[in-house]
Amino acid sequence: MPRPPFPPTTQSTFRLAGLALFACLATSACADDVVLDGAALEFFEKSVRPILVEHCYECHSAGEVNGGLRLDFRAGVMQGGDTGPSLVAGDPEKSLLIEAIRYKNRDLQMPPKNALSPVLVAVLENWVAMGAPDPRIEAVSNTETGPTGMSIDDGRKFWSFRPVANPAIPDVKEASWVKNPVDAFVLAQLEASGLRPAPAADKRTLIRRITYNLIGLPPTPEEVAAFLADESDEAFNKVMERLLQSPHYGVRWGRHWLDVARYADSNGLDENLAFGLAWRYRDYVVDAFNNDKPFDRFMVEQIAGDLLPEANQETKIATGFLVLGAKVLAEPDMEKLVMDTIDEQLDTTGKAFLGMTFGCVRCHDHKFDPLKQTDYYALAAIFKSTRTFADTKTGVIKHWHQHSFATEEDKARLKEIDAEIAKKKSAAASFKSKAIVKLRGEARAKATEYLVAATKFEPSAPLAMVEAIAAPLGLHPRILHHCRLHLEYNQDDPFFSQWHRLAAADDVDGIDKHFRTVFAEAETAYAAAQKMDPPQKTLTDARLKAARAAVHDLSGFLAVPPKVEFAFGAETLAEYYRLEDEARILESNAPDEPASMGVGEQTILSSLPIHIRGSHLNLGKPVTREFPEVMRTSTVRPVLPAGQSGRLELVRWMSSTQHPLSARVFVNRVWSWHFGRGIVGTTENFGRLGDRPSHPELLDWLAHRFMASGWSVKDQHRLILSSNTYQMASIHPAEKRHAVAATGPADVDPENLLLWKFRLQRLEAEQIRDSVLAVSDRLDTSIGGKTVPLRNRQFVFNHTSVDHTKYDSLRRAMYLPVIRNNLYSLFAQFDFPDPTMPTGHRASTVVAPQALLMMNSDLVMDSASSMASTLLERGMDDIERVEMAYERTVGRLPSEDEIQRAIAFIGELTSQSIGATGVDETGRQQAWAVFCQSLFASNEFIYVR
Amino acid sequence: MLSGPEVQTRRQLLKTSAVGFGHVALSALLGRESAADQAQPSVSTGPLVPQLPQIAARAKRVVFLFMKGGPSHVDTFDPKPLLTRDNGKPLPFDLPRVTFAAQGNLLKSPWKFKRYGESGLPVSELFPHVAQHVDDLCMLRSVHGTNPAHGGALLKLHTGTDQFVRPSMGSWVIYGLGTENQNLPAFVTICPTLAHGGVNNWGSAFLPAHCQGTPIGNASLAAVNATVKHIRNDRISPLAQRRQLDLIREMNRDHLEVTGRDQALEGRLNSFELAFRMQSAMPEVQDLSGESAATQKLYGMDNAVTEDFGRQCLMARRFLERDVRFVQVTHSDSEVQWDQHSNLYHGHTKNASEVDKPIAGLLSDLKARGLLEDTLVLWGGEFGRTPTAQGTNGRDHNPHGFTMWMAGAGVKGGYAYGATDDYGYYAAENKMHVHDLHATLLHLLGLNHERLTFRYAGRDFRLTDVAGRVATDILA
Repeated sequence: MPRPPFPPTTQSTFRLAGLALFACLATSACADDVVLDGAALEFFEKSVRPILVEHCYECHSAGEVNGGLRLDFRAGVMQGGDTGPSLVAGDPEKSLLIEAIRYKNRDLQMPPKNALSPVLVAVLENWVAMGAPDPRIEAVSNTETGPTGMSIDDGRKFWSFRPVANPAIPDVKEASWVKNPVDAFVLAQLEASGLRPAPAADKRTLIRRITYNLIGLPPTPEEVAAFLADESDEAFNKVMERLLQSPHYGVRWGRHWLDVARYADSNGLDENLAFGLAWRYRDYVVDAFNNDKPFDRFMVEQIAGDLLPEANQETKIATGFLVLGAKVLAEPDMEKLVMDTIDEQLDTTGKAFLGMTFGCVRCHDHKFDPLKQTDYYALAAIFKSTRTFADTKTGVIKHWHQHSFATEEDKARLKEIDAEIAKKKSAAASFKSKAIVKLRGEARAKATEYLVAATKFEPSAPLAMVEAIAAPLGLHPRILHHCRLHLEYNQDDPFFSQWHRLAAADDVDGIDKHFRTVFAEAETAYAAAQKMDPPQKTLTDARLKAARAAVHDLSGFLAVPPKVEFAFGAETLAEYYRLEDEARILESNAPDEPASMGVGEQTILSSLPIHIRGSHLNLGKPVTREFPEVMRTSTVRPVLPAGQSGRLELVRWMSSTQHPLSARVFVNRVWSWHFGRGIVGTTENFGRLGDRPSHPELLDWLAHRFMASGWSVKDQHRLILSSNTYQMASIHPAEKRHAVAATGPADVDPENLLLWKFRLQRLEAEQIRDSVLAVSDRLDTSIGGKTVPLRNRQFVFNHTSVDHTKYDSLRRAMYLPVIRNNLYSLFAQFDFPDPTMPTGHRASTVVAPQALLMMNSDLVMDSASSMASTLLERGMDDIERVEMAYERTVGRLPSEDEIQRAIAFIGELTSQSIGATGVDETGRQQAWAVFCQSLFASNEFIYVR
Repeated sequence: MLSGPEVQTRRQLLKTSAVGFGHVALSALLGRESAADQAQPSVSTGPLVPQLPQIAARAKRVVFLFMKGGPSHVDTFDPKPLLTRDNGKPLPFDLPRVTFAAQGNLLKSPWKFKRYGESGLPVSELFPHVAQHVDDLCMLRSVHGTNPAHGGALLKLHTGTDQFVRPSMGSWVIYGLGTENQNLPAFVTICPTLAHGGVNNWGSAFLPAHCQGTPIGNASLAAVNATVKHIRNDRISPLAQRRQLDLIREMNRDHLEVTGRDQALEGRLNSFELAFRMQSAMPEVQDLSGESAATQKLYGMDNAVTEDFGRQCLMARRFLERDVRFVQVTHSDSEVQWDQHSNLYHGHTKNASEVDKPIAGLLSDLKARGLLEDTLVLWGGEFGRTPTAQGTNGRDHNPHGFTMWMAGAGVKGGYAYGATDDYGYYAAENKMHVHDLHATLLHLLGLNHERLTFRYAGRDFRLTDVAGRVATDILA
């Protein structure tokens, strides 16, 4: 039983011995050579040790040290675990161990599965009261020590924490291959491994590669033709510059950043509310890339744009970065919610900018990296001084913080709109309640009829049978069904005893008479009581009172089904749904307050206690706001402002050119988004468990140059794209020969880490969709603005699972809603990243549902059909049509064989639909559509070489 | 096929080219068909599991009957005489530090309990049909979680955490064991709810994509209208589509000549064939018309009240029969089904009457077909309900102690494990945290929850995080 009566501690005969021991144990000097009193020793061995062994050792001994606590030797007991000493010898009331086994504190109960019996609790209380005599001097060695983090000193020597170097450009043998220093670094390592780079890719491959890479769309046949025709040395650079200046560059590369920023248009997690204002952050990111906003500035604005002296609407919108996370909005424990949110912010900030997994340090020092719990709470103090939640809420759902840009007029207008929505909602609600009241009234008027009809079937009767009985009598079948069940389950209810007796005797008339009489009498009596002065609210006659109560009990035998589908007839239901939909649609389309998601400031905390094992209920020593020790660039400590959270100082430090990580992490991302793999493969983890850089000097050289260029992202692109490294073919001539004796490059470097060829890359979800639309002339290329079809904070789904979000917009996929908990199926199937975690490198899986989507989805089939129509409308022959289809979809002309195959295929499919009247034009169009769809589904379309 | 130098490590393979629905397809890619075809396909041969220990697996597959909203344990499977005795009195001990809503005094159960079977375990009037199977049930009466809100509790139960997006338990099972049916997804979830965690409850998060659950319809649809997305093509004939796939195959073969061999490209070739097979396999499983009238009746499909859930349960059996590894069936309507903050009597009566017969039918049917021997049945909601009243006639959420039950493979039947306190508020004896439930479930499937890990973002993740103990007492 959970709550054993707690017997008063009996101060036993061991008391004297205990006191002596207490005096001794209080000074650790004599602890080891204490000689235990014989009786105390016996008590320990006979009573205490068995309890510890049986109930505690499993989790608190050499084998497993949960909570940092070991109870298998004396010093372990005295020293305690994360929460401090487990006992105060001689004082059970002050001993955590005793508090835990008493099971009174819900947050500290041991053993976790079952409370000890009161007898055992008393034994341990006695033992502590005695001074906890304990002969177990020697610690059993802890054989399985878990990993421990690096020390700060070792950490400073770890590659990613060392200052960014400016390495010399290496000498290479094949100097003619080197177009810019990037090539020198890559070639040097290839040569060191005895490898040679693949030859340059052909021009068609190149323009397809760079176009997808920079704007996420395929090149048009005209663009391909122009590039092929341009034989100047500058041909490639011209294409590159054209693409870098395209507004679609920002759409493609902004989307990369949104992966890192775990961007979404809804909260997800427990309460999926629309982030109706998130699009402003999305637009901010697109603009930042298009305008080549220096990356250090981009960082500062996202973490502390509200605190800049020159803060404006744009910089405040940028702080949406910190608010976009998924939050448990209905979490009733506000303190937990705040700390969970800070954890999300720290983890995201760490992974996005520093390649560090701060989330691991919430509960304990990092197991692998030189990050301490003090570092975590020093940062958490800054974020706890930051405001992420507003003061308002809707019911139990907390509101996230927003920056309002609304004028007084806007506010007045919004009030009107809110009122209109409320009015529509209440119209639906009041229609519903009126309809239910009406149903109740009807049921009450026929109370006797229900009881009579209930004799005609068993409780287990199928609803169809009940319907057949109810219909001719004008009764509601579900109320009748319920009435029968109610009678069945309430056989003890004296009011219904007559029903059961008479029903058993098959006396239906008796039931009719009995209940009709009593209901009528009750109503008459009630009417009379109402007329008395003063009116009587209840009846005095118990029998009549019970009759009225039974009829009026909302969950009684005449209860109306709570589900509207069951309660209402078709017409009423349709009207109710219409009213509900009207309210929903009005709300979905109503304008939002001009505002953006973003953080503000909160009561400033200069320090925050360490949360032991991450629990906000278990606080340790306070730590002052600070930057993580291992990354500090100076021993002189900054002074954080007393009146501000310190976010601005934090991000200025992060974005300083002395910081070892920020520039490295970002240039590695850029590299990864060009080559399909970073120089460090784990783009979010530059720690010990992350990958080591494949080209460490190159990484530093790039980072150095990036900072020297004023953190210009476009300069970084120019450098990388114009290298020979980027322009290599995706197949190496030595590969095919490996079957013959010589070793191929794949034997030396199977994962192509050294870049002896270009990596084949599958298109990402958005590119697949946009390409299908683009080549069939369906893509709407407009940029920016709100696109999620929901009002800010509107439920995506409430308790119903009806999905009102549509994805049939023809705008670029960047502008399709990103609904957490229910991603667009195309996104979900093609490895769109989970929009709750920063992702720098997307997976690229191959699963059958992807094939289903290419085979059967409206998107693909509509596009194929549209492309087929375009082909057929042109005045050209079938060969030209096939050529055009290939040029549009895969950027090349088909071979003679491919043309013949295509024409044969189309002919075969068309002939299947030949009727008596000859070739059916619809059949022909459909055959072309099936052919175009096949091209969309082909590997050549989906993979970029 | 791929014995050349570009055979990648298992992990890379999973990251980049996990083909089809599971490891058999993957094995084929690696040229290991022969091994996978051997007698023990589940544990040792697939590339998904080579480093896992060999615990003897008791269950090969799981069916989880999820009752959304939180059925009340004190009104169904956990009778509390003192609650009846002290009806209307205050709870004689502390309420939790955080409760979802204001709590009233103790509210006795409106239902009577009766003992059933040889074991004599009590079941309330709400489940007269399930009660007939009580000797096969293993009641877990001390389950507890932490989150008192629906969303958090659903996520906790399905993924082990209410704070982050993590793989669902079904996904972990598929990651650990792969699949034995190449034509169907390894993990299906029938009519799941899209609210309260939605897709995360069957998502694979960072696990390979083939581990994710495939939803069949959702809670807003009747089971009869529940289908898999994009499973049908109404525009072209199957014959034309077959020709189309042949054309795509030819195109892709040509392309391979240009690119050289590549796992992902070759895998994609096969994925179209798998998809094509699934197009016919899936509707076939969902088509219940071939089931005899007696079977349909067994599941309550002849009765309007039980028809919908009966259909789901029968579909579940058909999936299990075809070796689909993890099948979830959700009882949720467009409201939060079992969430009786008020009108407990009415709501629970209605809910129980919808599921009682179908569940009993499923148990009978699985048993009759010998499937119960290696199928684990799990029943329960995201939490239980308070023994104290909310309002006059309702109960609030209670994650502190509630009942779930298991049946079938590897668990003791007619057995009650753990207990709540005298009133049913807190788990008290043999407390079974959700992590423990997960550890036990994995154990029954032959997976060690501490070793079923996936390295992601620099850390090894587990379904049970850093917790979880196997409840060995319940193992048969």
